[in-house]
Amino acid sequence: MSVVRTRRPGEAVFSLFLAGVSGFLLWTAFGISGFEALSSPGALPMAAAGTMLVTALAVAVQTLRSAPDKAQTLARDIVPMPIVLTVVLVAGYALLLKPLGFLPTSFLFVAILIRMLGGQGLIFCAAISAGSVFLIYVVFRVIFNVLMPEGIVPEREILAFIGSIFSGAR
Amino acid sequence: MQAFSAFLIPILDLQLLSLVAIGTFAGIYIGAIPGLSVTMAVSILISFTFKWDVYPALSLMIGIFMGGVYGGSRTAILLNIPGAPAAIATALDGYPMAKRGEAGEAIGITTVMSFFGGFVGIIVLAVAAPLVSDFALRFQPRDYMLLAVLGILLVGSLSGDSLIKGVFAGALGILIGTVGLDPLTIADRFTFQLPELRGGISFIAVMIGMFGISEALMQLHDVNKAAIKQKISRIVPSWGTVRKYLPLSLQSSGIGVIIGALPGTGGDIAALMAYDHAKRVTKNPEVPFGEGAREGLVAPETANNAAVGGAFIPMMTLGIPGDAVTAIMIGALFIHGLNPGPMLMIEKPDMFWFIVGALTMANCFMLLFGLTGIKTFVKIVEMPRSVLIPLIFLLSIVGAYAVNGSLTDVYWMLGFGVLGYFMKLYGYQLGPVILGVILSRLLDDNWRRAIISEQESLPMLLKGIVTSPLSLVLMVSVILIIAAKTPLWRRAFGTRG
Repeated sequence: MSVVRTRRPGEAVFSLFLAGVSGFLLWTAFGISGFEALSSPGALPMAAAGTMLVTALAVAVQTLRSAPDKAQTLARDIVPMPIVLTVVLVAGYALLLKPLGFLPTSFLFVAILIRMLGGQGLIFCAAISAGSVFLIYVVFRVIFNVLMPEGIVPEREILAFIGSIFSGAR
Repeated sequence: MQAFSAFLIPILDLQLLSLVAIGTFAGIYIGAIPGLSVTMAVSILISFTFKWDVYPALSLMIGIFMGGVYGGSRTAILLNIPGAPAAIATALDGYPMAKRGEAGEAIGITTVMSFFGGFVGIIVLAVAAPLVSDFALRFQPRDYMLLAVLGILLVGSLSGDSLIKGVFAGALGILIGTVGLDPLTIADRFTFQLPELRGGISFIAVMIGMFGISEALMQLHDVNKAAIKQKISRIVPSWGTVRKYLPLSLQSSGIGVIIGALPGTGGDIAALMAYDHAKRVTKNPEVPFGEGAREGLVAPETANNAAVGGAFIPMMTLGIPGDAVTAIMIGALFIHGLNPGPMLMIEKPDMFWFIVGALTMANCFMLLFGLTGIKTFVKIVEMPRSVLIPLIFLLSIVGAYAVNGSLTDVYWMLGFGVLGYFMKLYGYQLGPVILGVILSRLLDDNWRRAIISEQESLPMLLKGIVTSPLSLVLMVSVILIIAAKTPLWRRAFGTRG
């Protein structure tokens, strides 16, 4: 029994997009060194982009030939609102990371996302967010020595103050 | 003697031993929690451990790898949700056992058999890798080039339904790997005159995006899925039970090691093949397969853990990753200035024996942690996804930022995450992308060496390939993989492409 392949919403646009991008990349790859030599710096990029274009076109043809899946919709099954909002939130996080700093940005990001995805109460979201951000901060800042932007929080001063309390206690 | 000393390093050094233990423990939970994958965890971990010495970093990653492959079985048994692709076959009989109230016994058998399989894989790795490495010294640049193409094609053809999409993904990965200044001629490649692109795209940002962000976005489709609670009974299996399934587990280990050692295959394929083997060789199971047969648990679990040792064979001897996780492990070794392949085995044999030692300890810790703390474990895996997913996003962002302290990497991660999400949604595999990124440099260097040594003549290169038995075998394999997916082949041999 053969399986009839159907086309998901947006699949045709995506396959054409990939074919278009592949064509642009092939043109850019040709610009690196043209057909100068088989060992030229542009040889592998051209081969890779050429392969991408051929396969992307083949996929696009297959996709356009298949029947659309009418049981699915773009808004419900492909890009539902939580996914769009999450991507926007991640981009917002990246924008705010430097000016606000790691701690407040992460707290806001996690709290808003938990609230948005689970619909829990504000106190629950804030508590979970504060606890998990604190834990991640301790593990990565203190144990792994990963430096994150400080922003509006004077982290170094706070850490130095905590350090002085412990050294004073000794 | 030197090899034995290196083998003992992760066993005798308390810090390294602790890191293996922590890694294995964390790996079991990461592998078990649906939405968290070993690939995701190891790719995020690289960004935090790249400043460490190589031994501690590897200890932690090996522990996570070993624990993660095993951990996937737990949620497969308890919730009918495989925590990892390698545990898909485990759910077929594990969950029916749990529904009968035998969840504890199922977890016990799974743990002991995973330990057994892991052990067989490590022994084969220790014996076979030095031999393969000696053989690999005879490889010419054209052989490495063909091997890289073969690896990407195998991942593309075996990990998904469509070879065309697999090839596209592999080519995309190769192209991403070429972005930046050409190391030989300093020519700009896909930099678009942007200074940020001259150093290339951080492969860690690509990996975290493809495996962390895209998986987390996929999880948003099922964010409100409720978990079904299970009762836990007896856990440690009796010696009689273990002895009864030992012959089957030995056969499954063999399948696991061989499949794991093939570039492009991994624990998931090994487990499914072993499950199929168990169905064929078990004439009269006590309970039918699919309804809670113990053989249906033993075979896939032994095989997927044996595949871990197997996957390290091509990685250590040829520098060709066996699957996405070993591709990331190669990336980790690159970051620490090591270049996996036959020369590493000769110049730094200690590194190889250290990895064997760390894998052995991780396997032992897996047995220990696997048979304990299951009731606490059940509570943790029932954590709501609405809490888990935001934390995955946060860890991914921090991971992408941490390597270079650059927000550009965060944007790359997000971009590749969104691209990976759509690729997954429309049936593209992401494994070949990562393999392509990792193998791009190897492919570029060896292609150029091969063609320069033949005076830029393609016919001469082809002549070199057909007159060398090894090159010819590799070339024929590449052609066969492509041919096997064509309609002509399907008509001739009646297989599905």
